[in-house]
Amino acid sequence: MKKKFLLLLLAASAFSYASKAQDTVKTTADAPLVLYGSVDTYYKDDLSGHANIPTSFASDNNSVSIGMIDLGLKKTVGNASFVGELSFGPRGQEQSLPNSGNYHIQNLYVSYNLTSKLSATAGYMSTFIGYEVISPTGNFNYSTSYLFTNGPFQNAGFKLTYAFSDKVSLMAGIFNDQWNAYTSQHDVSTFGAQLTITPVKNWTAYLNVATGPTSGTELDLTTAYQITTAFKLGLNAATFSPSHYGGGFSGVALYPQLAVSKVVTLGLREEYFKAKTVDAGSTYVLAGPLPGGSVIGSTLTANIKAGPLTFIPEVRLDNVNKKQYSTFTDSSLAPTASASQFVLAAVYAF
Amino acid sequence: MLAVKSAVAQKDLLSIDEHNKYIYYQVVPQPGLTVDTFQNRTAYFLKTNYPKNKVNKSELPESITGTGKLLMLTGISAAKHIDGEVNYTFNIEYKDQKYRYWLTDFVFTPYYVDRYGNSVPQPGIDVPLENGAAKLEKGQLNNYSIQISNYSKQFGDRLKQYMLMVSAAPIKSDKKKVITTKDW
Repeated sequence: MKKKFLLLLLAASAFSYASKAQDTVKTTADAPLVLYGSVDTYYKDDLSGHANIPTSFASDNNSVSIGMIDLGLKKTVGNASFVGELSFGPRGQEQSLPNSGNYHIQNLYVSYNLTSKLSATAGYMSTFIGYEVISPTGNFNYSTSYLFTNGPFQNAGFKLTYAFSDKVSLMAGIFNDQWNAYTSQHDVSTFGAQLTITPVKNWTAYLNVATGPTSGTELDLTTAYQITTAFKLGLNAATFSPSHYGGGFSGVALYPQLAVSKVVTLGLREEYFKAKTVDAGSTYVLAGPLPGGSVIGSTLTANIKAGPLTFIPEVRLDNVNKKQYSTFTDSSLAPTASASQFVLAAVYAF
Repeated sequence: MLAVKSAVAQKDLLSIDEHNKYIYYQVVPQPGLTVDTFQNRTAYFLKTNYPKNKVNKSELPESITGTGKLLMLTGISAAKHIDGEVNYTFNIEYKDQKYRYWLTDFVFTPYYVDRYGNSVPQPGIDVPLENGAAKLEKGQLNNYSIQISNYSKQFGDRLKQYMLMVSAAPIKSDKKKVITTKDW
Protein backbone atom coordinates (compact mmCIF):
# COMPACT_ATOMS: atom_id res chain seq x y z
CA MET A 1 0.00 0.00 0.00
CA LYS A 2 2.82 2.38 0.87
CA LYS A 3 4.48 1.62 -2.48
CA LYS A 4 1.19 2.29 -4.25
CA PHE A 5 0.85 5.59 -2.48
CA LEU A 6 4.39 6.64 -3.40
CA LEU A 7 3.73 5.70 -7.02
CA LEU A 8 0.54 7.74 -6.94
CA LEU A 9 2.45 10.66 -5.48
CA LEU A 10 5.13 10.44 -8.18
CA ALA A 11 2.51 10.21 -10.90
CA ALA A 12 0.67 13.21 -9.50
CA SER A 13 3.93 15.14 -9.29
CA ALA A 14 4.81 14.30 -12.88
CA PHE A 15 1.34 15.38 -14.01
CA SER A 16 1.70 18.63 -12.13
CA TYR A 17 5.12 19.26 -13.69
CA ALA A 18 3.78 18.57 -17.18
CA SER A 19 0.86 20.90 -16.60
CA LYS A 20 3.19 23.60 -15.38
CA ALA A 21 5.33 23.27 -18.48
CA GLN A 22 2.29 23.99 -20.63
CA ASP A 23 1.06 26.95 -18.63
CA THR A 24 3.68 28.58 -16.49
CA VAL A 25 1.66 31.73 -15.87
CA LYS A 26 -0.78 31.55 -12.99
CA THR A 27 -2.65 34.76 -12.50
CA THR A 28 -5.69 33.79 -10.48
CA ALA A 29 -5.96 32.57 -6.90
CA ASP A 30 -6.65 28.96 -7.98
CA ALA A 31 -4.34 26.61 -6.14
CA PRO A 32 -2.04 24.19 -7.94
CA LEU A 33 -1.79 20.55 -6.90
CA VAL A 34 -0.83 20.99 -3.29
CA LEU A 35 1.10 18.59 -1.10
CA TYR A 36 0.78 19.22 2.60
CA GLY A 37 1.38 17.43 5.82
CA SER A 38 3.50 17.13 8.90
CA VAL A 39 5.93 15.04 10.89
CA ASP A 40 5.98 15.01 14.69
CA THR A 41 8.02 13.49 17.46
CA TYR A 42 8.03 13.95 21.24
CA TYR A 43 9.47 13.10 24.63
CA LYS A 44 7.23 12.83 27.67
CA ASP A 45 8.06 12.56 31.34
CA ASP A 46 5.23 11.86 33.77
CA LEU A 47 6.41 12.82 37.26
CA SER A 48 5.07 9.55 38.66
CA GLY A 49 7.50 7.61 36.49
CA HIS A 50 4.76 6.03 34.39
CA ALA A 51 2.11 7.28 31.99
CA ASN A 52 -1.01 8.53 33.79
CA ILE A 53 -2.99 11.04 31.81
CA PRO A 54 -5.23 9.11 29.41
CA THR A 55 -5.87 11.72 26.72
CA SER A 56 -4.74 11.20 23.15
CA PHE A 57 -1.20 11.16 21.80
CA ALA A 58 2.00 11.91 23.73
CA SER A 59 1.22 8.61 25.37
CA ASP A 60 4.66 6.99 25.80
CA ASN A 61 6.48 7.82 29.03
CA ASN A 62 10.22 8.41 29.31
CA SER A 63 10.70 7.67 25.65
CA VAL A 64 11.60 9.60 22.54
CA SER A 65 8.59 8.54 20.50
CA ILE A 66 7.07 9.33 17.15
CA GLY A 67 3.71 10.76 16.31
CA MET A 68 3.05 10.30 12.62
CA ILE A 69 3.93 11.36 9.14
CA ASP A 70 0.89 12.91 7.57
CA LEU A 71 0.73 13.26 3.76
CA GLY A 72 -2.06 15.06 1.99
CA LEU A 73 -2.76 15.91 -1.63
CA LYS A 74 -5.45 18.30 -2.79
CA LYS A 75 -6.51 19.94 -5.98
CA THR A 76 -9.31 22.19 -7.16
CA VAL A 77 -10.31 22.58 -10.77
CA GLY A 78 -13.25 24.84 -11.35
CA ASN A 79 -15.98 23.78 -8.96
CA ALA A 80 -14.62 20.31 -8.26
CA SER A 81 -12.03 19.44 -5.67
CA PHE A 82 -10.60 16.49 -3.81
CA VAL A 83 -8.59 15.95 -0.65
CA GLY A 84 -6.68 12.77 0.14
CA GLU A 85 -4.71 12.61 3.38
CA LEU A 86 -2.96 9.55 4.77
CA SER A 87 -0.99 9.12 7.95
CA PHE A 88 1.55 6.56 9.12
CA GLY A 89 2.67 6.20 12.71
CA PRO A 90 1.12 5.62 16.14
CA ARG A 91 -0.63 9.00 16.30
CA GLY A 92 -2.36 8.42 13.00
CA GLN A 93 -2.97 4.72 13.43
CA GLU A 94 -3.82 2.82 16.61
CA GLN A 95 -4.05 6.00 18.71
CA SER A 96 -6.68 7.43 16.37
CA LEU A 97 -8.52 4.46 14.94
CA PRO A 98 -9.25 1.32 16.95
CA ASN A 99 -9.29 -1.00 13.94
CA SER A 100 -6.31 0.51 12.19
CA GLY A 101 -4.05 -1.42 9.83
CA ASN A 102 -0.82 -0.13 8.35
CA TYR A 103 -2.05 3.37 7.70
CA HIS A 104 -4.92 5.67 8.50
CA ILE A 105 -6.95 7.91 6.23
CA GLN A 106 -7.39 11.34 7.77
CA ASN A 107 -9.44 12.83 4.98
CA LEU A 108 -10.64 11.30 1.74
CA TYR A 109 -13.44 13.18 0.09
CA VAL A 110 -14.62 14.91 -3.02
CA SER A 111 -16.45 18.19 -3.10
CA TYR A 112 -18.40 20.13 -5.68
CA ASN A 113 -19.65 23.71 -5.60
CA LEU A 114 -23.21 23.43 -6.90
CA THR A 115 -23.54 27.21 -6.79
CA SER A 116 -21.39 29.99 -5.40
CA LYS A 117 -23.16 29.46 -2.04
CA LEU A 118 -23.95 25.75 -1.97
CA SER A 119 -21.40 22.94 -1.91
CA ALA A 120 -21.76 19.18 -1.62
CA THR A 121 -19.12 16.93 -0.03
CA ALA A 122 -18.94 13.16 0.31
CA GLY A 123 -16.36 10.83 1.81
CA TYR A 124 -14.46 10.30 5.04
CA MET A 125 -13.72 13.56 6.78
CA SER A 126 -12.29 15.02 9.92
CA THR A 127 -15.17 15.57 12.28
CA PHE A 128 -16.93 18.91 12.45
CA ILE A 129 -17.26 18.48 16.23
CA GLY A 130 -14.81 20.02 18.68
CA TYR A 131 -11.85 22.38 18.95
CA GLU A 132 -8.90 20.02 18.62
CA VAL A 133 -7.91 17.70 15.78
CA ILE A 134 -5.67 14.70 15.11
CA SER A 135 -3.09 16.63 13.08
CA PRO A 136 -0.45 18.17 15.37
CA THR A 137 -0.35 21.27 13.16
CA GLY A 138 -4.01 21.94 13.90
CA ASN A 139 -3.56 22.10 17.67
CA PHE A 140 -1.69 24.58 19.82
CA ASN A 141 -1.14 22.14 22.71
CA TYR A 142 0.59 18.84 21.97
CA SER A 143 -1.35 16.72 24.43
CA THR A 144 -5.08 16.82 23.86
CA SER A 145 -8.16 17.62 25.88
CA TYR A 146 -10.55 15.09 27.39
CA LEU A 147 -13.28 16.57 25.21
CA PHE A 148 -11.25 15.73 22.11
CA THR A 149 -10.24 12.23 23.16
CA ASN A 150 -13.78 11.22 24.03
CA GLY A 151 -15.49 12.87 21.08
CA PRO A 152 -15.50 11.81 17.44
CA PHE A 153 -12.32 12.12 15.38
CA GLN A 154 -13.80 11.49 11.98
CA ASN A 155 -17.14 10.97 10.28
CA ALA A 156 -17.95 9.36 6.95
CA GLY A 157 -20.95 10.76 5.18
CA PHE A 158 -22.50 13.23 2.81
CA LYS A 159 -23.04 16.88 3.64
CA LEU A 160 -24.33 20.07 2.08
CA THR A 161 -23.03 23.47 3.12
CA TYR A 162 -24.90 26.66 2.33
CA ALA A 163 -23.48 30.12 2.90
CA PHE A 164 -26.28 32.57 3.67
CA SER A 165 -23.73 35.37 3.81
CA ASP A 166 -20.08 35.79 4.68
CA LYS A 167 -21.18 35.76 8.34
CA VAL A 168 -23.60 32.83 8.48
CA SER A 169 -23.47 29.36 6.96
CA LEU A 170 -25.13 26.05 7.66
CA MET A 171 -23.88 22.53 7.11
CA ALA A 172 -26.24 19.59 7.32
CA GLY A 173 -25.47 16.01 6.49
CA ILE A 174 -26.10 12.36 7.05
CA PHE A 175 -23.26 10.26 8.37
CA ASN A 176 -22.44 6.64 9.13
CA ASP A 177 -23.77 5.30 12.42
CA GLN A 178 -20.32 4.90 13.99
CA TRP A 179 -17.43 7.36 14.33
CA ASN A 180 -13.78 6.79 13.48
CA ALA A 181 -14.52 3.95 11.08
CA TYR A 182 -14.45 3.78 7.32
CA THR A 183 -17.73 1.88 7.07
CA SER A 184 -21.02 1.93 8.90
CA GLN A 185 -21.94 -0.71 11.46
CA HIS A 186 -25.55 -0.99 10.28
CA ASP A 187 -26.62 2.08 8.35
CA VAL A 188 -26.14 5.77 7.62
CA SER A 189 -28.22 7.12 10.47
CA THR A 190 -26.29 9.87 12.24
CA PHE A 191 -27.56 13.34 11.50
CA GLY A 192 -24.99 16.11 11.74
CA ALA A 193 -25.28 19.85 11.45
CA GLN A 194 -23.06 22.85 11.98
CA LEU A 195 -24.20 26.45 12.16
CA THR A 196 -21.28 28.81 11.60
CA ILE A 197 -21.61 32.40 12.75
CA THR A 198 -19.12 35.23 12.50
CA PRO A 199 -20.52 37.85 14.90
CA VAL A 200 -17.65 40.27 14.34
CA LYS A 201 -14.51 40.21 12.24
CA ASN A 202 -12.02 37.56 13.41
CA TRP A 203 -14.53 35.86 15.70
CA THR A 204 -16.13 32.63 14.52
CA ALA A 205 -18.48 30.35 16.43
CA TYR A 206 -19.62 26.87 15.45
CA LEU A 207 -22.74 25.28 16.93
CA ASN A 208 -22.59 21.56 16.25
CA VAL A 209 -24.85 18.59 16.71
CA ALA A 210 -24.36 14.91 15.85
CA THR A 211 -27.14 12.55 16.78
CA GLY A 212 -28.20 9.05 15.88
CA PRO A 213 -29.70 5.88 17.38
CA THR A 214 -26.33 4.12 17.34
CA SER A 215 -23.85 6.95 17.75
CA GLY A 216 -25.62 8.82 20.55
CA THR A 217 -25.92 12.59 20.71
CA GLU A 218 -23.23 15.21 21.07
CA LEU A 219 -23.92 18.93 21.29
CA ASP A 220 -20.89 21.13 20.86
CA LEU A 221 -19.91 24.78 20.81
CA THR A 222 -16.53 25.66 19.37
CA THR A 223 -15.44 29.25 19.03
CA ALA A 224 -12.26 31.27 18.55
CA TYR A 225 -11.72 35.02 18.60
CA GLN A 226 -8.48 36.63 17.43
CA ILE A 227 -8.98 39.69 19.59
CA THR A 228 -5.72 41.38 18.61
CA THR A 229 -2.89 40.26 16.35
CA ALA A 230 -1.18 38.94 19.50
CA PHE A 231 -4.07 37.59 21.58
CA LYS A 232 -6.49 34.82 20.72
CA LEU A 233 -9.18 33.26 22.86
CA GLY A 234 -10.78 29.91 22.09
CA LEU A 235 -13.54 28.00 23.82
CA ASN A 236 -14.99 24.53 23.49
CA ALA A 237 -18.01 23.24 25.39
CA ALA A 238 -19.71 19.94 24.74
CA THR A 239 -22.00 17.31 26.17
CA PHE A 240 -22.40 13.74 24.98
CA SER A 241 -24.98 11.09 25.81
CA PRO A 242 -24.82 7.55 24.44
CA SER A 243 -28.03 6.02 23.13
CA HIS A 244 -28.47 3.53 25.97
CA TYR A 245 -27.57 2.92 29.64
CA GLY A 246 -26.46 6.44 30.51
CA GLY A 247 -22.86 7.52 30.65
CA GLY A 248 -21.25 10.13 28.43
CA PHE A 249 -19.58 13.35 29.44
CA SER A 250 -19.80 17.10 29.52
CA GLY A 251 -17.10 19.69 29.76
CA VAL A 252 -15.67 23.03 28.83
CA ALA A 253 -12.18 24.14 27.83
CA LEU A 254 -10.76 27.63 27.50
CA TYR A 255 -7.77 28.39 25.25
CA PRO A 256 -6.12 31.81 25.76
CA GLN A 257 -3.00 32.34 23.63
CA LEU A 258 -0.58 35.25 23.55
CA ALA A 259 2.14 35.87 20.98
CA VAL A 260 5.06 37.35 22.92
CA SER A 261 7.35 37.66 19.90
CA LYS A 262 7.21 36.77 16.25
CA VAL A 263 8.49 33.27 17.02
CA VAL A 264 7.13 32.55 20.51
CA THR A 265 3.48 32.15 21.52
CA LEU A 266 2.35 31.08 24.97
CA GLY A 267 -0.96 29.34 25.52
CA LEU A 268 -3.00 27.86 28.32
CA ARG A 269 -5.68 25.19 28.12
CA GLU A 270 -7.91 25.10 31.16
CA GLU A 271 -10.41 22.27 30.97
CA TYR A 272 -13.21 21.02 33.18
CA PHE A 273 -14.46 17.56 32.25
CA LYS A 274 -17.15 15.51 33.96
CA ALA A 275 -17.91 11.83 33.41
CA LYS A 276 -21.64 11.17 33.63
CA THR A 277 -22.93 8.29 35.71
CA VAL A 278 -23.81 5.05 33.96
CA ASP A 279 -26.74 2.68 34.35
CA ALA A 280 -26.38 -0.99 35.17
CA GLY A 281 -25.42 -2.98 32.10
CA SER A 282 -23.58 -0.12 30.48
CA THR A 283 -20.45 -0.96 28.53
CA TYR A 284 -19.60 2.70 27.96
CA VAL A 285 -15.97 3.54 28.75
CA LEU A 286 -14.31 6.91 28.47
CA ALA A 287 -10.78 8.23 28.85
CA GLY A 288 -10.85 10.24 32.05
CA PRO A 289 -12.24 10.01 35.57
CA LEU A 290 -14.54 7.17 36.57
CA PRO A 291 -18.32 7.72 36.13
CA GLY A 292 -19.56 10.48 38.43
CA GLY A 293 -16.14 12.10 38.75
CA SER A 294 -14.67 15.19 37.20
CA VAL A 295 -11.21 16.45 36.37
CA ILE A 296 -9.61 19.84 35.85
CA GLY A 297 -6.74 19.78 33.39
CA SER A 298 -4.35 22.74 33.21
CA THR A 299 -1.88 22.76 30.36
CA LEU A 300 0.69 25.48 29.76
CA THR A 301 2.26 25.30 26.32
CA ALA A 302 4.73 27.32 24.29
CA ASN A 303 4.99 27.25 20.50
CA ILE A 304 8.48 28.25 19.37
CA LYS A 305 8.74 28.66 15.61
CA ALA A 306 11.89 27.97 13.63
CA GLY A 307 10.70 28.22 10.06
CA PRO A 308 8.44 25.24 9.33
CA LEU A 309 9.51 23.58 12.58
CA THR A 310 7.67 24.24 15.82
CA PHE A 311 9.08 23.24 19.20
CA ILE A 312 6.39 22.63 21.79
CA PRO A 313 7.42 22.48 25.44
CA GLU A 314 4.44 21.79 27.67
CA VAL A 315 3.65 21.19 31.32
CA ARG A 316 0.33 19.72 32.42
CA LEU A 317 -1.36 19.17 35.74
CA ASP A 318 -4.62 17.20 35.99
CA ASN A 319 -6.58 17.00 39.19
CA VAL A 320 -9.60 14.72 39.79
CA ASN A 321 -12.24 16.00 42.23
CA LYS A 322 -12.07 12.90 44.47
CA LYS A 323 -9.50 10.15 44.67
CA GLN A 324 -12.23 7.53 44.35
CA TYR A 325 -12.95 8.68 40.79
CA SER A 326 -9.33 8.85 39.75
CA THR A 327 -7.38 6.36 37.68
CA PHE A 328 -4.07 8.11 38.43
CA THR A 329 -1.38 6.42 40.49
CA ASP A 330 1.72 7.87 42.10
CA SER A 331 5.30 6.63 41.83
CA SER A 332 4.55 3.75 44.21
CA LEU A 333 1.42 2.89 42.19
CA ALA A 334 -0.90 4.04 44.99
CA PRO A 335 -4.11 5.80 43.86
CA THR A 336 -3.82 9.57 43.73
CA ALA A 337 -6.06 12.40 42.61
CA SER A 338 -3.52 14.27 40.52
CA ALA A 339 -1.05 13.66 37.74
CA SER A 340 1.49 15.88 36.07
CA GLN A 341 3.66 15.56 33.01
CA PHE A 342 6.20 17.41 30.90
CA VAL A 343 6.29 17.08 27.13
CA LEU A 344 8.75 18.39 24.59
CA ALA A 345 7.55 17.91 21.04
CA ALA A 346 8.74 18.98 17.62
CA VAL A 347 6.35 19.33 14.69
CA TYR A 348 7.47 19.98 11.13
CA ALA A 349 4.76 21.26 8.80
CA PHE A 350 4.97 21.34 5.02
CA MET B 1 24.97 32.55 -8.73
CA LEU B 2 22.91 33.70 -11.69
CA ALA B 3 19.76 32.60 -9.93
CA VAL B 4 20.67 34.61 -6.85
CA LYS B 5 21.41 37.69 -8.98
CA SER B 6 18.10 37.29 -10.76
CA ALA B 7 16.25 36.94 -7.49
CA VAL B 8 17.83 40.11 -6.11
CA ALA B 9 16.97 41.98 -9.28
CA GLN B 10 13.34 40.84 -9.13
CA LYS B 11 12.99 41.88 -5.51
CA ASP B 12 14.37 45.33 -6.38
CA LEU B 13 11.46 45.92 -8.75
CA LEU B 14 9.48 47.13 -5.76
CA SER B 15 10.05 50.74 -4.68
CA ILE B 16 8.87 52.84 -1.75
CA ASP B 17 6.30 55.57 -2.45
CA GLU B 18 5.64 58.86 -0.67
CA HIS B 19 3.43 57.04 1.88
CA ASN B 20 6.28 54.66 2.77
CA LYS B 21 4.50 51.80 1.07
CA TYR B 22 5.93 49.29 -1.33
CA ILE B 23 4.86 50.02 -4.88
CA TYR B 24 5.41 48.65 -8.35
CA TYR B 25 5.09 51.70 -10.59
CA GLN B 26 5.48 52.13 -14.34
CA VAL B 27 4.75 54.87 -16.86
CA VAL B 28 4.40 53.59 -20.41
CA PRO B 29 4.36 55.87 -23.51
CA GLN B 30 1.95 54.57 -26.12
CA PRO B 31 1.83 56.93 -29.08
CA GLY B 32 -1.31 56.96 -31.15
CA LEU B 33 -3.76 55.76 -28.50
CA THR B 34 -6.52 57.78 -26.88
CA VAL B 35 -8.07 57.55 -23.43
CA ASP B 36 -11.10 55.67 -24.79
CA THR B 37 -8.92 53.03 -26.38
CA PHE B 38 -6.86 52.63 -23.23
CA GLN B 39 -10.01 52.22 -21.20
CA ASN B 40 -11.53 49.55 -23.47
CA ARG B 41 -8.34 47.57 -23.68
CA THR B 42 -7.77 47.73 -19.91
CA ALA B 43 -11.28 46.47 -19.20
CA TYR B 44 -10.74 43.55 -21.57
CA PHE B 45 -7.31 42.88 -20.07
CA LEU B 46 -8.73 42.64 -16.55
CA LYS B 47 -11.72 40.57 -17.57
CA THR B 48 -9.56 38.09 -19.46
CA ASN B 49 -6.54 37.79 -17.16
CA TYR B 50 -7.78 38.67 -13.70
CA PRO B 51 -11.46 37.70 -13.60
CA LYS B 52 -11.44 37.38 -9.80
CA ASN B 53 -10.12 40.89 -9.22
CA LYS B 54 -12.62 43.42 -7.94
CA VAL B 55 -12.84 46.59 -9.98
CA ASN B 56 -14.03 49.72 -8.20
CA LYS B 57 -16.64 51.89 -9.81
CA SER B 58 -14.99 55.08 -10.95
CA GLU B 59 -16.59 58.23 -12.24
CA LEU B 60 -13.42 59.20 -14.01
CA PRO B 61 -13.02 57.61 -17.43
CA GLU B 62 -9.28 58.03 -17.33
CA SER B 63 -8.60 55.59 -14.48
CA ILE B 64 -9.46 52.11 -13.24
CA THR B 65 -8.75 50.93 -9.69
CA GLY B 66 -9.44 47.70 -7.86
CA THR B 67 -8.14 44.94 -5.66
CA GLY B 68 -6.77 41.48 -6.18
CA LYS B 69 -4.81 38.79 -4.46
CA LEU B 70 -2.10 36.27 -5.17
CA LEU B 71 -1.07 33.14 -3.36
CA MET B 72 2.34 32.88 -1.72
CA LEU B 73 3.73 29.47 -2.59
CA THR B 74 6.80 27.65 -1.39
CA GLY B 75 8.31 24.30 -2.19
CA ILE B 76 9.35 22.42 -5.28
CA SER B 77 7.48 22.96 -8.51
CA ALA B 78 5.67 19.63 -8.48
CA ALA B 79 4.22 19.98 -5.01
CA LYS B 80 3.61 23.47 -3.76
CA HIS B 81 2.75 24.55 -0.25
CA ILE B 82 0.49 27.54 0.24
CA ASP B 83 1.96 29.90 2.85
CA GLY B 84 -0.71 32.53 2.52
CA GLU B 85 -2.13 35.22 0.30
CA VAL B 86 -1.17 38.79 -0.51
CA ASN B 87 -3.96 41.26 -1.16
CA TYR B 88 -3.13 44.36 -3.19
CA THR B 89 -4.69 47.32 -4.91
CA PHE B 90 -4.06 48.24 -8.52
CA ASN B 91 -4.43 51.58 -10.26
CA ILE B 92 -4.33 52.21 -13.99
CA GLU B 93 -4.53 55.76 -15.36
CA TYR B 94 -4.46 57.13 -18.90
CA LYS B 95 -3.68 60.28 -20.78
CA ASP B 96 -3.52 60.59 -24.52
CA GLN B 97 -0.39 58.86 -25.78
CA LYS B 98 0.55 57.27 -22.46
CA TYR B 99 -0.69 55.37 -19.46
CA ARG B 100 0.65 54.50 -16.04
CA TYR B 101 -0.15 51.79 -13.53
CA TRP B 102 0.89 50.79 -10.05
CA LEU B 103 0.32 47.96 -7.60
CA THR B 104 0.54 48.75 -3.90
CA ASP B 105 -1.01 48.10 -0.44
CA PHE B 106 0.48 44.62 -0.32
CA VAL B 107 -0.85 42.85 2.78
CA PHE B 108 0.13 39.28 3.64
CA THR B 109 -2.32 36.94 5.41
CA PRO B 110 -0.90 33.57 6.45
CA TYR B 111 -2.82 30.40 5.69
CA TYR B 112 -3.22 27.34 7.86
CA VAL B 113 -4.43 23.88 6.92
CA ASP B 114 -7.79 23.30 8.54
CA ARG B 115 -9.17 19.95 9.73
CA TYR B 116 -10.47 19.12 6.27
CA GLY B 117 -7.13 19.74 4.57
CA ASN B 118 -8.17 23.11 3.17
CA SER B 119 -5.70 25.99 3.18
CA VAL B 120 -7.59 28.91 4.69
CA PRO B 121 -6.63 32.41 5.87
CA GLN B 122 -5.81 32.88 9.55
CA PRO B 123 -8.35 35.41 10.79
CA GLY B 124 -6.98 38.54 12.34
CA ILE B 125 -3.41 38.16 11.08
CA ASP B 126 -2.70 40.77 8.40
CA VAL B 127 0.88 41.84 7.78
CA PRO B 128 1.48 44.85 5.53
CA LEU B 129 4.62 44.17 3.50
CA GLU B 130 6.22 47.27 5.03
CA ASN B 131 5.98 45.60 8.46
CA GLY B 132 7.26 42.30 7.18
CA ALA B 133 10.67 42.63 8.79
CA ALA B 134 9.07 42.73 12.24
CA LYS B 135 6.48 40.01 11.67
CA LEU B 136 8.03 37.56 9.22
CA GLU B 137 11.25 35.65 9.05
CA LYS B 138 13.90 37.08 6.74
CA GLY B 139 13.75 34.18 4.29
CA GLN B 140 9.96 34.37 4.15
CA LEU B 141 10.00 38.11 3.49
CA ASN B 142 12.57 37.77 0.70
CA ASN B 143 10.61 34.95 -0.90
CA TYR B 144 7.33 36.85 -0.78
CA SER B 145 8.94 40.06 -2.07
CA ILE B 146 10.29 38.16 -5.07
CA GLN B 147 6.93 36.55 -5.78
CA ILE B 148 5.14 39.91 -5.51
CA SER B 149 7.69 41.52 -7.82
CA ASN B 150 7.37 38.76 -10.39
CA TYR B 151 3.60 38.95 -10.23
CA SER B 152 3.63 42.74 -10.60
CA LYS B 153 5.99 42.59 -13.56
CA GLN B 154 3.82 39.96 -15.18
CA PHE B 155 0.76 42.15 -14.57
CA GLY B 156 2.49 45.03 -16.37
CA ASP B 157 3.83 42.90 -19.22
CA ARG B 158 0.40 41.49 -19.89
CA LEU B 159 -1.21 44.90 -19.71
CA LYS B 160 1.29 46.14 -22.27
CA GLN B 161 0.42 43.26 -24.59
CA TYR B 162 -3.27 44.09 -24.40
CA MET B 163 -2.63 47.79 -24.94
CA LEU B 164 -0.78 46.92 -28.14
CA MET B 165 -3.55 44.72 -29.51
CA VAL B 166 -5.23 46.20 -32.56
CA SER B 167 -8.64 45.07 -31.37
CA ALA B 168 -8.75 44.42 -27.66
CA ALA B 169 -12.25 43.04 -27.40
CA PRO B 170 -13.65 40.64 -29.97
CA ILE B 171 -16.40 42.28 -31.96
CA LYS B 172 -19.71 40.73 -31.13
CA SER B 173 -22.39 40.64 -33.75
CA ASP B 174 -25.79 39.00 -33.47
CA LYS B 175 -26.24 38.88 -37.21
CA LYS B 176 -24.62 36.09 -39.13
CA LYS B 177 -23.00 36.99 -42.41
CA VAL B 178 -25.36 36.20 -45.28
CA ILE B 179 -23.86 34.92 -48.48
CA THR B 180 -25.75 35.54 -51.68
CA THR B 181 -25.10 33.24 -54.60
CA LYS B 182 -26.85 35.42 -57.18
CA ASP B 183 -23.95 37.71 -57.82
CA TRP B 184 -20.49 36.42 -58.28
